[in-house]
Parts: sequence; C-alpha cells; structure tokens
Amino acid sequence: MNRAAFLSRVREAAQRGRAHRVHLHEVPDGTGYVGAAGDLCEALAAEVEAVGGSAHVVNDREGARAALNDLLRQYNARSAYCWQHPVLDRLALAELLREENVETHRHDTLTAMTPAARKARILAADIGISSVDVAIAETGTLVVCSRPGQERLATLLPPVHVAIVDAHQIVPDLFDAFERLDPLSLASNIALITGPSKTGDIELQLTTGVHGPGKWHVIVIRNAQAMHVD
Amino acid sequence: MTKVDYLRSEHHEFLDASAEALGNRNLQAILGRLGDTLGARNKQAWAELPNSDLVRERARAIKDETLAELDKHLETLDASVRRLGGHVHWADNGEEACRAILEIIQSHGASKVVKSKSMTSEEIHLNKALEKAGIRPVETDFGEYIIQVAGQRPSHIVGPALHLSKDQVAEILSAEAGENLPSDREELAAFARRRLRSSFAEAEVGITGVNFAIAETGTIVLISNEGNARLTTSLPKVHIAVMGIEKVIPRLADLPVFLKVLARAATGQKQSVYASMITGPRRDGEIDGPEEFHLVILDNGRSRILEGPLRESLFCIRCGACLNACPIYRNIGGHAYGGVYAGPIGAVLTPLYDGLARNEHLPHASSLCGACQAACPVKIAIPEMLVKLREQLHGEPGQGGWLESLAYRTWARMLRSPWLYRAATWLATRTIGWLWRKKRWINRLPGKVGGWTKTRDFPAPAAERFRDWWQREGQQ
Repeated sequence: MNRAAFLSRVREAAQRGRAHRVHLHEVPDGTGYVGAAGDLCEALAAEVEAVGGSAHVVNDREGARAALNDLLRQYNARSAYCWQHPVLDRLALAELLREENVETHRHDTLTAMTPAARKARILAADIGISSVDVAIAETGTLVVCSRPGQERLATLLPPVHVAIVDAHQIVPDLFDAFERLDPLSLASNIALITGPSKTGDIELQLTTGVHGPGKWHVIVIRNAQAMHVD
Repeated sequence: MTKVDYLRSEHHEFLDASAEALGNRNLQAILGRLGDTLGARNKQAWAELPNSDLVRERARAIKDETLAELDKHLETLDASVRRLGGHVHWADNGEEACRAILEIIQSHGASKVVKSKSMTSEEIHLNKALEKAGIRPVETDFGEYIIQVAGQRPSHIVGPALHLSKDQVAEILSAEAGENLPSDREELAAFARRRLRSSFAEAEVGITGVNFAIAETGTIVLISNEGNARLTTSLPKVHIAVMGIEKVIPRLADLPVFLKVLARAATGQKQSVYASMITGPRRDGEIDGPEEFHLVILDNGRSRILEGPLRESLFCIRCGACLNACPIYRNIGGHAYGGVYAGPIGAVLTPLYDGLARNEHLPHASSLCGACQAACPVKIAIPEMLVKLREQLHGEPGQGGWLESLAYRTWARMLRSPWLYRAATWLATRTIGWLWRKKRWINRLPGKVGGWTKTRDFPAPAAERFRDWWQREGQQ
C-alpha cells in the first residue's frame, strides 16, 4: 500500500531482470501499416459489412437524409438519442426527426432534466445517431471521442446505432487514426467501434446485440461539400 | 463422484481432473470444435496483416523495454492519472487490492456493483472478498454472467463459459429466470441483456480490469466484443480499474501495435468490436461517464517474477491464443489446470504465483510442440519456460532419485560416443527389436518405466538399424 516501498521493490526487480532481457530483431518503421487500396469510402463500406454492420454509401446530404429516413421507418423509431455535431447539423437532423415525429434527446435537452429523468429517457431510446471523429477504412472502425454533445452512451445504449460519416473523416489505417490523436489532450473517453455488439460465449457461435447495439449502420457521405448552399 | 468439484474450486489434482475431463463427452465435443472455428479464423486474420511476424516482434520489444524500466513507467502512470483527478492505490497482494476496492465502495455507501470480465480480479478472488462484506458484484460479460449464475470458474481466458453447451446454458439461465428458456443462443442472449440492463441501470460502482495502461496519458484501455466494458465505465458514478504492474505501456503510439495483434490472436478478428480508452473521470459539461476514477495497481508476486529467468511471462496480454493452439488444452479444457489461468501460459503462471511444488504436474502438461509460442502475439517462449520450471522441479530434493539420474547419465554418455551408440543400437535391434518384430508395439514395460505403458503403448525398436538398411538399399 506504500507507494514508495512498492516502487522501490519494482525498481530493484526491474534492474535485476535486465539480465534476462530477450533477444530482439530489428523492426523497420511503418511495419504493420495496412491501409486501404482504392476509394476510401468503398473500402470503409466493405469492412463495415464484413464485420456484420450495414453500410450505405451516398453521394450527398440529400442521399444521407433519405437513407436515415429509411432506417427510422425500418426500425419504427419513436425516440432517438443524438449527438450534436457539425456533420449532423449540416444534414438538418433535428428537422428531419421532427418531421418523422421522433422524440429527440440530445445534450441540450438532457441537461435540463434531473439525472433520474435523463437516465430513464436515454435507456428507452430506440435509436442512437452520431457522427464520428475519425473512421478507419482498413478495419471498418469508427473512432468516437466523448465531449459535451458527443455522449458516449448515444453510441452504446440504444439497440440501433446509426453513424454518419463524411468522406473527409476517413483515414486508411489505425496508425493514421492515432496520428490524429494528441496525447496531451485526449478526450475522457475514446471508443473504437468495429461492428455491432457481439459475443461468442455460447459454443463459440456468433450472437449479436448482447449489450451494445445489435444493429449497426454506417452512412458514408461521399461528397458532402458538393451539396447546394444553405 | 470426485472429492473436489473442479468446475467450482481451484485444486492441485491435475491428473484426476484431466482424466475426468477426458471422459466428459460433452466437453470433448466442445473442445473438438475449438481448432476448427477459432483456428481457421485466426489464420485468416493473420494472413491479412502483412509482416505480422515483425508486428509481433515490435509488440514484444515494447514489452521488453517497458519491463526494463517498469518503475519509471508506473511513476509516470501514477502522475498522469492523478493529474486528471483520478486516484491511484498500490496493492502488494490480492488481499490489499480487495481491501482497497471494498473501502472505495463502502466510502460511497454503495452496494450495487457491476463488473466487466477481468482475469486479475479472478486472480485476487475479488468477488468472494466483496460477498463476505455483503456486496454481490454482478458479472456482466455474458460468459462470465453464465458461470457466475452457475457458481462455476472460468475455463478460458477469453471465453469463460466455453466448457458449457447451449443446452447447459439454457438450463442454468432458466433456473435463474424462473421460467423455461429455449436452447436458442439469441433468446438466451436477449434474456441476459434484459437482466443485465437493469443491473446497469441501478449500478453505483463499476469494476473493470485493464488491458493496457498508457503511462504518458494516464489512459486505461479496455477491449471487449459485447460492450459491457463500455457500459460498466459509462453508467455508474464510480469506476474502479484493477491492473497488474505489467499492464503499463509507455506511450499512446504503442497502443495501435497491440491493437493490431490482440484481436487477431484472441478471436481472429482484425479489431475487437470495442476498444475503450478511458482518460480520467468525466470532464466539465459531460453528462455521462464516471465522476470518480480509481486505479488499483497490483504486484502480487509479479516483481519476484520480473527479476528472474521467467520474466518473459510478464509479456502476456491475456489473449488466450496459446490455449486454443495447445493439444493438451484442447483435450482437457481449462478446469483441469486447477488455477485461475489455464492452458500453456497457465502452466507457467500458476506455478509462479501459487508455488511450483504443489503444481508439479503443470510444467509437464505440455508436449513442448511449440504451438503456443507460434500462436502468441508477443512470441513468449512458453516451451522454454516450461523446461526451466521442470529443471527447477527436479533440482528440488525428493524428486528424481539416483536410478533416474544414472539412467540419464548413461543415456548421455552413449549419445556422445559414436562407437557406443552404434553398439547400443546394434544390441537393441538384435534383441528387443527382433523379439517384437511382428507386434512393433510394447504394451507393458517393467518397473519404474511402466508408467509409460499404463495409458499408451511404447514403440519397439526396429528389427534393423537404419544405417544397415541404408548400407544395403540406399546406395543405388
């Protein structure tokens, strides 16, 4: 329990242990970089499908709104837990949800509630809608960083998670994604999400949705900038 | 009936327990599928990572460098966690760790605790310690939940309920549900989801292990496929993480190297579904995440291992690949090993943590085929370590004896001299080889060596030496 004594014991052991260091081979820089060949949007979509998600590559924001609309109807969503994010704002997500009569919970509305009321609402949400900080084409991974408006539970609690990704948010490889993270200012929670929630705990057979979202959709907007002006 | 219930209690009866496992048809059927399912997936995942051998070498190098200055990295980690407003607790052994965790829970007057699967918490028997104080932590990993309900021990590092069939799981969960659940994986998972959601909703404290702890940033990393680790660290107000000292890595940039190899080795995925990087408690303005973060750093015999020849065992990132690859594990499963850690790495770790003399069979529970080392994402030389443990065992008084020692000395003398070797093989082929020339297998050996033929036959020497055959036939 004593920090100093604990560390001094480790120090002595580490020093003595150096006699048993292992023989290592030279490893060139860049080893393990895989990346993705060709179009990053298509590569990301292919990996998303490979890990059990559904990818929707669309050309512009109109396409993204249509894809999202389809999903809301497909799952008969009555309430949504949403991020507040520029990518979602540019889609006019709030209006879209209002038009579809989907009750919307987001940082601004939730902070006004008591913690108990807040918990009850988000636990009951039918769908979670987020963007990403980075998406990784090689593995179909979404990197989501927590901050006010980017709640960690929005991508986790609802049975369905829909992520909307702009093409410029995609990088080829995991190493590229880590290049974008600054060790001096990491968010309190960063999640790398690769697929719907899974388990192999019964007879090693795949079962989905045991804790996190069992349905996982990624809408990739190929050309968000080409969209008409506001 | 056996004296000890191997499914529920730790034990030192390797031979009896493995004999029982070999006779368990249900377990044999499950273990038989292990290689086909996981083995094939792993192979594919490694194939998709170019130069995977070098990536594993890099991961290994990071571990080796870190251990050489482990105290410094732990100090950095400590400072980083405290800078973020987290609390660090140092525990020499399991008892101290359990006490620290219990004190944190009690200081909040809390009783509702959820847990995400952690081998380290198994090692320190945390659940038992908390239950003694009237707190029953709910295991939330699906497999771990099943065996908690059944009162059993995990049988695999990654798949704790691997030893149970679908029907057995249905039976276990039906008893818990108070209704008949069908033997259907989706339905059983849906039941667990509902049950555990309500545990999560009311949980005050979340306890997790740690896959990696990044010193420079004070970040702890948790890997899971189900999402329970994320829920455990997002919903409750207090998060307690417990780690062995060897879990620290120096830099943020080291993490992707391990993320590239861990899931491939563990489950044959390129990436696990969720990797959470948790850097301190929630920040101003955030409405989810824990308000308090505690990190318990555990020694429990690790510094003793760190200074010795088996230091490399501390490289282990608990992926379970060596279990899946091991012909012994694939025949006897996890419970036969007796300790918390099963399989080849368990055969190294359990004697180190729990004592060599009372686990004397574990270093021998290997054919030294090397499949474990080949499967290991950090290339731990497990066979070499098992041999070292065997040497230590036989150096201890009461082991071996003069007869065995004489036999080995004679054997060694014979192998060193070509003349003696030729004479001995000539004699063997003309006597035993000739007598058994029809049967080829000896089914009973006399005296001390009879142990061999108790469970299998011994191959008789050939009736003709290879060198004689070669002289006659091979020259053309």
